[in-house]
Amino acid sequence: MDKDAILNGLENAIVNGKKAEAINFAKDALSAGIKPLDAIDAGLIKGMMIVGEKYAAHTIFLPQVLLAADSMYGALDILLPHIPREAAAKRIDMVIGVVEGDVHDIGKNIVKTMFTAAGFNVHDVGRDVPAEDFVEASKANNAQLVAMSTLMTPTMDSMKATVDALVEEGIRSQLKIIIGGAPTSQEFADEIGADMHAINAQEGVAKAKEAL
Amino acid sequence: MADEMNHIERAMAGLSNQPVDRLLTYPLAMGVCRRLINGTGITYQEWVSDPKKFAQAFIEGQRRFDFDFAIGLMDLSVMAGDLGAHVRMDEQNTPFVDDPLIKDIEGYEKLEVPNIKDPKTRSYVLVEGTGMFVEALGKEVVTAAFLEGPLLALTQTRGAEFVFKDMYDNDSSRKAVHAALKTITDYDKEMVKAFAEKKPAGLVWDYLWGSYSCLGDTEYEEFEGDYKYAGCLNELVQKEGMANCIHNCADLPHLDTQIKKWKPAIYSMAYYPLIPGSPSAKEVIQNGYADVSLVGGNIDPQGFVRWKPEKMEEVTKKLCNEVLTELKARGLGGRYCIASGCEVPPALSTKLENIQACVDATKKYGVWA
Repeated sequence: MDKDAILNGLENAIVNGKKAEAINFAKDALSAGIKPLDAIDAGLIKGMMIVGEKYAAHTIFLPQVLLAADSMYGALDILLPHIPREAAAKRIDMVIGVVEGDVHDIGKNIVKTMFTAAGFNVHDVGRDVPAEDFVEASKANNAQLVAMSTLMTPTMDSMKATVDALVEEGIRSQLKIIIGGAPTSQEFADEIGADMHAINAQEGVAKAKEAL
Repeated sequence: MADEMNHIERAMAGLSNQPVDRLLTYPLAMGVCRRLINGTGITYQEWVSDPKKFAQAFIEGQRRFDFDFAIGLMDLSVMAGDLGAHVRMDEQNTPFVDDPLIKDIEGYEKLEVPNIKDPKTRSYVLVEGTGMFVEALGKEVVTAAFLEGPLLALTQTRGAEFVFKDMYDNDSSRKAVHAALKTITDYDKEMVKAFAEKKPAGLVWDYLWGSYSCLGDTEYEEFEGDYKYAGCLNELVQKEGMANCIHNCADLPHLDTQIKKWKPAIYSMAYYPLIPGSPSAKEVIQNGYADVSLVGGNIDPQGFVRWKPEKMEEVTKKLCNEVLTELKARGLGGRYCIASGCEVPPALSTKLENIQACVDATKKYGVWA
């Protein structure tokens, strides 16, 4: 199979949410001598961008997006270990999580997928995450971006606690903070000292890229 | 201006599209009213574990705020908890599932309808507690039970992300999702019948996943809209003598299905001004949805935490003006209830005076002059 056929296969496997196919095309890419970064850029990212556009246009919905994301991660597991260390080091590290007291992580996971597709090294600290864990992960990974979400109003205060903790630990100035989730807004981001608010994953990626 | 109708007269007029003295109002203040019990309030654990305490919050809320409705929302983890998922109970935070029950595809088929007559279940507390506040308030306001729809209860039991993937991952996972939905629909049927014995005027479904941010028409029809799920449940509510009502606080609700097709007596919804396409009160009325149902909404719930009462009054006034203008332009009666788009946050930081400000402002600015 030639290079274009493999990259098209990767892209289509992502768009159609076929994880097994995505994994197989990722293996084919390596066997055919395609650089892993090329396979990611011209296959996976291209596919995920199409998925993002279709989701934004409401022509596909969460089930299809989540299956596409699963397929992308399956292929990434094959490709990432083969990326040269110097190339991997150029990727921007970020920490993402749902703040303490909230376990709603479906939105966070979609945002994580889109940031991964956009070339970020995403360190996912999970859900119901205390402020100190955001701090620890940011330090450990030398993060340039922290992304936080919450779906519930009562746990919005945990976002402020996290921003405060980053300030207290002296690392706030080294990174940007973006927040999201149904009850949040730019006004709230300003109020708690975060840099940005995004209403969806695509806007989040665009704003973060612009800010970094 | 003093009210000219009592709460029930006003609600009945609104429900039957007749003129009202003023717009109806019901900020969705449920869990937050536990703070009124015993003067100092009680914890969530206490509130959701004892039918008398559950009912007392609605009674105290009515005495304090003078609402037009009483709707028995507890939280959205009642059914998942009774099915076997682990529910975390913080002292002052809404209980939520922190460890789903269903861990794999086989788990869907192992679900069993719990014994809702067992006093240890929260389903029992919910039904009995609803009965108690219906008895106490039923002659004063329109009362309604509140129940999670099958897909919502399933996503709480398995985790939404897994359910959405399992819907279309492969044939066996899709079949398993349907098997679980059938079990939960049976559970819902038992709950509907149990509620009906308590004689609330209505029953409100939470059909949260009917949202274009989550599911398209095809997906929603297959996994909730179908007659074997929501369709037969809506019918059962009416057959059992209750008004069928729906709450959906999602950003892009399936209004054509949930209002125009299902024709609920009341439809409660939110508004997300930042999200393109999220329908405002004006758009909802202009597009004919208030022709079909009494619509409730759409004040930002976080305003009850963050705003000062003056701002709440201003926002409520603006919404009253918007709604009155549009209802009159369309030749409708009192087909809108000034409410929060979703539950008033039950946190300690919610300002009770904002609930009062919303009710008072509706009485002042919602007058049908």
